[in-house]
Amino acid sequence: LDVKPPLRLLPNVTFHPIDLTEPLAATRLAEVLQAHEIEVLVHLAFRAFPSRDVDADHDLETLGSSNVLEACAEAGVRRLVIDSSTMVYGARPDNPNFLEETDELRADPGAPPVQNRLAVEHLVQSWRERNPTVDCTVLRRCWVMGPAFFDAVVALFDADWVPTVLGYDPLLQFVHEDDLLYVFERATLEPHPGVFNVVGRGVVPLSSLLANAGKWRLPVPQAWLSRAVGVASMRASGSSADALTDYLRFLWVADGSRGWGEFGEPLYSTREAWSAFVGARRMRQHV
Amino acid sequence: LDDPTDNVVPFPSSSTSRSRDLAPLREALRELRGEIDHRFPAGGASGLTGSASADAKRLDWIALFDELRERLGQLGVAERSNEVDSFGLDLMTLARAGALMDFLVDRYWRVEVRGAEGLPDAGPVVFVANHAGVIPWDGLVFAHCLARERPGWPRVRILLGDPRVTLPFAQPVLARLGVVRACRENAERLLSQGKSVLAFPEGERGATKVFGARYHVQRFERGCAVEAAVRRGVPLVPLGIVGAEEVHPLLFKASTVGRAIGVPFLPVTPSFPALGPLGAVPLPSKWQIEVGEPMDAGVFAAARERDGRGTPALEEALRDRVRALVARGLSARGSAWR
Repeated sequence: LDVKPPLRLLPNVTFHPIDLTEPLAATRLAEVLQAHEIEVLVHLAFRAFPSRDVDADHDLETLGSSNVLEACAEAGVRRLVIDSSTMVYGARPDNPNFLEETDELRADPGAPPVQNRLAVEHLVQSWRERNPTVDCTVLRRCWVMGPAFFDAVVALFDADWVPTVLGYDPLLQFVHEDDLLYVFERATLEPHPGVFNVVGRGVVPLSSLLANAGKWRLPVPQAWLSRAVGVASMRASGSSADALTDYLRFLWVADGSRGWGEFGEPLYSTREAWSAFVGARRMRQHV
Repeated sequence: LDDPTDNVVPFPSSSTSRSRDLAPLREALRELRGEIDHRFPAGGASGLTGSASADAKRLDWIALFDELRERLGQLGVAERSNEVDSFGLDLMTLARAGALMDFLVDRYWRVEVRGAEGLPDAGPVVFVANHAGVIPWDGLVFAHCLARERPGWPRVRILLGDPRVTLPFAQPVLARLGVVRACRENAERLLSQGKSVLAFPEGERGATKVFGARYHVQRFERGCAVEAAVRRGVPLVPLGIVGAEEVHPLLFKASTVGRAIGVPFLPVTPSFPALGPLGAVPLPSKWQIEVGEPMDAGVFAAARERDGRGTPALEEALRDRVRALVARGLSARGSAWR
């Protein structure tokens, strides 16, 4: 299910064009689900790159998700897997060193992309109470790194110069794309109801990551950086997302032990995921 | 290499006998060797023999720039530790700071530790101490002394309160040295990992004592570490740290100036801000650290169950012990500058 058809379709896969932002998307989606007697739905309709239009993103991610949930309830889907992010916990100075699944979600309202994820989390929470028989898995993943994965965060780290906030050196954690895919596969094939943080083991300071990759740090005072991010996002999308710089200042490391207990040990640690990303980029540069 | 595909050596398939296929493999390897020699003329080797030709002397600016950039990019990688632990403690930073801490402890502050033999053989333990100064010298010094006293223990973590633990510039350094934000989750997690914890229940009130109020142990705040110790049955060890309260004698708290630059107050000491960055150099007072008897926190658990409202009795008892230790340390030390 997507807006536009994929480049290649595997033999036993059928494609249905559905625009989740349409007013009648829920009924259309429910029809498709019923026609194929769908049992498991994996909801991944989130943007890897925030688009130029914040309202369109909101329509797709928040309203689209509520359409998906509605359709699932109507079509009697038995299992639902939802992609979420540990960014919904929010990067706050008063966070504990490790955030658990039960902790409050305190993302800053100044960051629209995270706000959409947060809204989806709240939608899913209330939806689960109304549909207790459905196995609903919410996978909160941290930033993903790997040879092939690409999104806005990876784009930030892809440059030779990475802007950092002057005076701060946050501990970051990554999950490798293979581990993430494995967790999604397990969650799709087996029932794992609940909320899980999907993260790699270990934390690494940003400065050490960049130094090991031979990248340059560009320390910018917090006020300038947030203003620059604000202006850039305002130019791009008409609303300011200056709270995003907090994710390069404060701790928002999630405790993955619950997810590791449920889905097994990740193959890659944070540092290994980062090395995989850096190695693949270097290879591509030189080939 | 411009095009890597033209250098693919056909590898013998594993299904055929190995000995028969060795000859073409050797042939291919020799070809590859020749190709490498051809494409990369031995510039480094000729440089070693000292017969540097005029060609080699011609500066390749692009290569030079690339090399310079690479060197700069790697600057500091060697001394940067590859791993920090889950709370951001970096053993390599600690080791590098060790020499400075040795100097400070042995020569500069002449720290004397009494009563450390009463510590249990194995952790974890919650240390509760008096506190002074915006820079947590007392915590760092005690952690250093404890690491010498009990080398087998995991490094003691220093719990610090909110405004200071997220200060820019200081925060990354403090985290590498074992400072952790004081909150319930962190204290619980550290203790469950078997790591000892040093808490300053006076909190910010202790850190911002003016010089006249030195060694007046302030009211204890609702300590997350004490709570965690009671819940987990971890022994509490009171400490009296004498000497730390003179290293940065705080004369005034300039709140108006401080608020203008976005901090609660600007500390005014005899040397700061008058001497600028030099004002951060601590004064050479004489230190005395008194380690008290471990207290069993378990006995307070029942009271806590009954009241359900924290551990005020325990906190008061702890404060008395800390106060007594501070008094003992003061009388044992005598003059502050001797």
